[in-house]
Amino acid sequence: MNAHQGLGRVTEDELHAYVDGQLDGNRRLAVERWLAEDPEAARRAEDYRAQAMLLHEMFDTVLREPPSDRVQELSDRLKGRVAFNDNRPAWHARPLVRFAAAVMLVVAGAAGGWMGRGADQQAAAPVAQQRQTLATFAQEATQAHRFYTSDERFQVELGADNQDELNGWLSKRMGRDVFGPDLGRVGYRLIGGRSLPTDLGAGAQYMYANDGNKRITLFVGAPQSGNQSNFSFTQNGDVATFYWVEGPLAYALAGRLSKEELLEIAKAVYQDVKAGPPRREAPPEQPQQQQPQQQQEQPAGVQPISDTHKAKES
Amino acid sequence: MSKFGVDLEVHIASLRRYARALMRNSADAEDLVQEALTRAVARADSFQAGTNLRAWLFTILHNVHVNQVRSKAARPQEVDVDDVESKLVSPPRQEERVELREMMRAVDELPEEQRKVLLLVALEGLKYDEVADMLGVPIGTVMSRLSRAREAVRAKLANEGGVTLRRVK
Repeated sequence: MNAHQGLGRVTEDELHAYVDGQLDGNRRLAVERWLAEDPEAARRAEDYRAQAMLLHEMFDTVLREPPSDRVQELSDRLKGRVAFNDNRPAWHARPLVRFAAAVMLVVAGAAGGWMGRGADQQAAAPVAQQRQTLATFAQEATQAHRFYTSDERFQVELGADNQDELNGWLSKRMGRDVFGPDLGRVGYRLIGGRSLPTDLGAGAQYMYANDGNKRITLFVGAPQSGNQSNFSFTQNGDVATFYWVEGPLAYALAGRLSKEELLEIAKAVYQDVKAGPPRREAPPEQPQQQQPQQQQEQPAGVQPISDTHKAKES
Repeated sequence: MSKFGVDLEVHIASLRRYARALMRNSADAEDLVQEALTRAVARADSFQAGTNLRAWLFTILHNVHVNQVRSKAARPQEVDVDDVESKLVSPPRQEERVELREMMRAVDELPEEQRKVLLLVALEGLKYDEVADMLGVPIGTVMSRLSRAREAVRAKLANEGGVTLRRVK
């Protein structure tokens, strides 16, 4: 076969880097072409991803176990020692914040080196910078997907029984108007959502399920400078993600689906988002404007970070 | 909210997960993390702001682990009954699923150097060069260990019932 020669030969290392999300765009295309032609290689990539998924299933439970007192105390001390500028009281000791940190873990874990590369990022041109920011956003979305679909108990903070309530609450948390599109026509129903910290500030995650209980998540964030962008695709382990910017918001749709299946759903999301939220009272003339304060402080019975947490000891 | 504080919480949670996967016993894992954090606190001055905190922490944990293994090897094997018991009575409940049990066994059977690389990359999402720095080996060595680990696991899972890994979703 020589079809992938135009892009150069694909190496064994690149197959791994592809699976691990450590390959840049051009080479990713080369690997994808190779995989399309070579079923054995495609099976290997799929098996490697499945291995990663199994590892997460086996060990992500640790994230939900509180550390020993001694480890917690050392963490606090280390925080004081290493963060010279950070001597605020122990906000981090609050259980809800700690839970949020565990969530961030899955996020930062795979976002990988971006944190250490601040200097490069600042030097980069704005466009490249936005691309980088969006890529990070997509990784956050992917990891949040992985985390919250890993365990039924952690699915959603607020169910979709009352969608106005859900949308109003998430809009308020994000400071922007967001809503969960209706994906019924592609076979998915909204089951709920949650608010999450992201690199771009507060984000919202909507979760959907189909009849086979397969779950997909739509992650919404607010980039500082939102230039429109086309669909981009990234694959991390077994989770596929499409992401793009529309209006003032960035979107990432993640699922354990093939690229083609996910693309169909992404198109449906895109159309719905462009059409705007299904609003009853106000005419949809000022799409940029926030919904007036029609929602209360918080819907009754909802905890700010996680309802799942209150089931635990604290 | 301080970004640094969240980052640190996140890295420590990541260390704990890796330690658990490496030691396979929650008491040993927590001890390892505790020892690593004790060193990190002692050496906090050597950490340079703006550099890779996660890599710094993982490297410390790795060194502590290597030293533990070394000193255990030097001592005659002593087995504490309580330890054995806790290992025997605490099979993680999620191993009930066949594929998870097989995966667990396949990972356990890997040579330690391969197991570490697989866990650091596939579970913790470390970059290849971070793993190379942390283990003090060339990046080519990281890649070949990763490749061998993945193929060995794959072969084991394929032998034991074959289709378990091919998800039908």
